[in-house]
Amino acid sequence: MKYTTDYGYEIKPVYGPRDVEGIEYDRDLGDPGSFPYTRGYHENGYRDRMWTRRMTAGLGSSRDANKVLKKYREMGQTGGMCVIHDRASSSCLDADHPLARRENGVLGWPGSSLLEFEELMEDIPLTGQSITLLGCCAPSSLRLAYVVALAEKRGIDPREVHGSVTESPFGNVFGQTDVQPFDLNMKLFLDAAEYVVRNKIRMRSGLVGQHFQESGGNNAQALAIELSMLKEICGRLVNERGLDFDDAVRVPYQLVSIGSRFFEEIAKVRALRRMWARMAKEHFGAKKERSCQLLIAVHTSGRTMTYQQPLNNVVRCGIQTLAGAMVGCTAVDNATMDNAYAEPSPLAARMSLNTQHIVAVETGVADVVDPLAGSYFVERLTNEVEAAAYRVLEEIDALGGLVAAIEKGRIEAMLKEEAHIKFREMNNKERLVVGVNHLVIPREEEMFEIPIQETEASDSEAIATRMADWKKTRDMAPIEASVQRLYADARKGDRFNLMPAIIDAVKVYGTAGEIIGVIRLARGLKYDRFDMIECPYALS
Amino acid sequence: MANARSIKVIVSMIGLDSHTTGAEVVSTLLRDAGFEVVYLGVNQTPAMIVNAAVEEDADVIGISCHASNFALIEELMNLVAENELTDVPVVCGGNIPPNQIARLTAWGVAKIFPPGSSGDAIVEYLAANARRRDVAADRISPACRQRGAKQAGEGKL
Repeated sequence: MKYTTDYGYEIKPVYGPRDVEGIEYDRDLGDPGSFPYTRGYHENGYRDRMWTRRMTAGLGSSRDANKVLKKYREMGQTGGMCVIHDRASSSCLDADHPLARRENGVLGWPGSSLLEFEELMEDIPLTGQSITLLGCCAPSSLRLAYVVALAEKRGIDPREVHGSVTESPFGNVFGQTDVQPFDLNMKLFLDAAEYVVRNKIRMRSGLVGQHFQESGGNNAQALAIELSMLKEICGRLVNERGLDFDDAVRVPYQLVSIGSRFFEEIAKVRALRRMWARMAKEHFGAKKERSCQLLIAVHTSGRTMTYQQPLNNVVRCGIQTLAGAMVGCTAVDNATMDNAYAEPSPLAARMSLNTQHIVAVETGVADVVDPLAGSYFVERLTNEVEAAAYRVLEEIDALGGLVAAIEKGRIEAMLKEEAHIKFREMNNKERLVVGVNHLVIPREEEMFEIPIQETEASDSEAIATRMADWKKTRDMAPIEASVQRLYADARKGDRFNLMPAIIDAVKVYGTAGEIIGVIRLARGLKYDRFDMIECPYALS
Repeated sequence: MANARSIKVIVSMIGLDSHTTGAEVVSTLLRDAGFEVVYLGVNQTPAMIVNAAVEEDADVIGISCHASNFALIEELMNLVAENELTDVPVVCGGNIPPNQIARLTAWGVAKIFPPGSSGDAIVEYLAANARRRDVAADRISPACRQRGAKQAGEGKL
């Protein structure tokens, strides 16, 4: 067994006063609600507002996902909903695209038009709960347009809707691959972010550090990546889009991954709050205290959910949820016991939501803010992960920032190396995982078959056929007018904001494939990323 | 591992799945064990994978699956049969539910490596079960050229 953190800090058998010698309470910790916010942002913690307890939904058709969301509301998920795109719509492919036909509704919601969003949200309120939609960067400007369009249809001021539907262009270069080019993603992301700020819409944008960590990155690297994403995004909103930092900072929220190494996960999030507060003040010159408070949501780690003996995952999820709660986050969406198989079954979803409810109301951990503060071990770990993260951050800065580091292949190399280390440690039993490389039992002795949600090829095909048939029934004149405007706007340069034209096209039922395709054409790219279909419109 | 030296393995993602970590880790461990690995990366259609196997004259096709893109595996297996590549075993690794393992096996997938499979198990299986070049060499050259011809113009779905 190894007694080191995943970033290589050697853990001692016992910690004492000498481990926290350099710490000055007011400078390094501060009371909850005080700079540098190591202990959190709220004096009363969860007594004023419990964290949002939610599950990620999406599998099969939009109507299927709507049923799941309604079920989750019955299970006590009323503070906020979270839905993830399927693979095709994450890639901005319409369901009738040749590559989509066999993957529609796989591991997500086939959200490539306003129609699909209307079906998803049928009889579900847009306000009074946070609306979170995930899945790649390029479709996220469409998601913002869906929310604005549906709010207007329902007679709601879009400024009354809150949540997060857009996603930074970085999430999908870490271990997953976005099919749209990075510069297009960045442009669309900045357009959406600027639109949200200038129109005072309370929609955040996910900087998904979780993807980096779920792909193998260690805690210190994850912190460094999270901070360098914030630095890059806020820097661009200020320098390229002319926003005040104190306005720009209303855009990002950080989605962090929490695994089973309990104290290390808690230390990581405490360090993130402190590091961001200092960056906001020292690097960006924040004028408002709020700007030093980074909104942090937690995804308990899907990577740790094992294929073997899936019931064990209920326990892992409980430990991770407890860490997420004790560290004081805004929202938690849980992994589930069937995470290694498919999207959550109703049983797995109920187990995970109940895990959160149990931690919230039964354990007492939500009664006191930052209960581990002052622990010799936790404070030392917080300092250690922070110091290690600053070293990685310096390296990224020296390469010219995160975009430059990605272009130079440094981040990919970092991830690859870490993923290999993790595999080797498991293979050599330096790290033990029950049921995987420790106390392994044959499958037939597992004694319990969990239900598994799956999509069949016929489900994917049905979604494709519906999309193809529905497209023919649309009123084409307004769509053609809107894509002409979009094409014209998209040739006005990167700083020209495309959100108004995208919203117009979405409102008249232009699809994700059409909208992104037309923008691609205007940028000199092929209409279809895979060069299998042609643009149906004559653009001029 | 001496007997791995001459074995050429195609490692590929399939369809729109972009969870590449597993495929990359396996590529590295196979290279370390002496295999020749051709990693195709993301967004590969069944036809692209089979074309690559023909062009590279591969001895094994390894597919990374992350839950639910199994219909594409069925398509791949049909193309493997159509192209008379049945002496090239297709193996799959990743998050594959037990009921799917039975289906994949019925379609002709030679071996499934679910999460938690050890590096040694993968290396040993491929070393023992990859197409044998000494056997294949007699018939591969003309047949392979033929396959290549058959595939021309089928570069896309």
